[in-house]
Amino acid sequence: MSIFEGQPDLMAPWELWVRATALSGFVREHGDLWPVLETLHYFGLSLLLGAVGLFDLRVLGVAKAIPAGMLHALVPFGVLGFAINVVTGIAFFSAFPDQYAYNSAFHAKAVFLGLAGLNVALFYTTAFASVRRLEPGQDAAFWPKLLTGISLSSWIAVLVCGRLLTFFRPPFFH
Amino acid sequence: MDPIFRLIENGGFSTWIRASTWAFPVLVVLHTLGMGLIAGPSAIIDIRILGLGKGAPLRAFTRFFPLMWGAFAVNVVSGLLLLVAYPTKALTNPIFYLKLTLIGFAVAALVAIRRNILEAPGVGEAPLKMTEKGLAVASLALWAAAIFAGRLLAYTHSRLLVDVRVHF
Repeated sequence: MSIFEGQPDLMAPWELWVRATALSGFVREHGDLWPVLETLHYFGLSLLLGAVGLFDLRVLGVAKAIPAGMLHALVPFGVLGFAINVVTGIAFFSAFPDQYAYNSAFHAKAVFLGLAGLNVALFYTTAFASVRRLEPGQDAAFWPKLLTGISLSSWIAVLVCGRLLTFFRPPFFH
Repeated sequence: MDPIFRLIENGGFSTWIRASTWAFPVLVVLHTLGMGLIAGPSAIIDIRILGLGKGAPLRAFTRFFPLMWGAFAVNVVSGLLLLVAYPTKALTNPIFYLKLTLIGFAVAALVAIRRNILEAPGVGEAPLKMTEKGLAVASLALWAAAIFAGRLLAYTHSRLLVDVRVHF
């Protein structure tokens, strides 16, 4: 609830628009849904961190007995986790847009999400072809290691900023 | 139990965790990161055992266990510190005991998966048995239930501190 609750003249036009959507109303009217959405968001982050993290670690040199291309077959489950988090994240934002739009932890999270996204694009265009050919026990080159290191760090930064959201709520949000 | 809760909560360390601007946020961040780094890889290993994302040799997944045990240690320590900060909140909530029980079974399932599946002689040569796949399903369900129970702790406690009741 923001102190602007019931005072729509104090909200920015885009906030009113977001809060007028069916999704926003649904999430706000079903209070019991919030912990369920949070739990799904945690499932999503675990799948993402599990699948992408293990692949990144293999490229970085952990568990080299596994050919990186084979470990990559599990990455779609990380993508599934990311998709769950996009959907639940949109639901959170739609319900209380002011909690996120005026929250510096959310701004930082958005920056790290952007970095992670750019890194995904760079990895698949410049490094994946060589990583895919890695044999059991074979070490990756410096460039793929750099990009997977950035991947792992930026996803962890996304998680850290996400968990810090509640401590950076704008003062009018309660 | 109230005198014990009061003694802990009035202690300097417990008070400091609650009063400090960064101690509590750092603890919950570490607890969430630790959760992701044990439940996540464990779930991915379960998915691989269930036959999805085939190919990667099962035995080699044991190399990821130091990371998972490290994450678990982070969560034991951060969890204990959160408990020191808010003993009444956790210990008067039945869901807290449910969460600990679920984590106990999830960790036992992880140990059993390593011993009985990943390190079994001839793993990967024959298709996995239904009991082995059942263990992976149980592991997934246990982590999911433990995460749900953990998240519910923020909404289901009846007391925040020994003298502070809350109503949801």
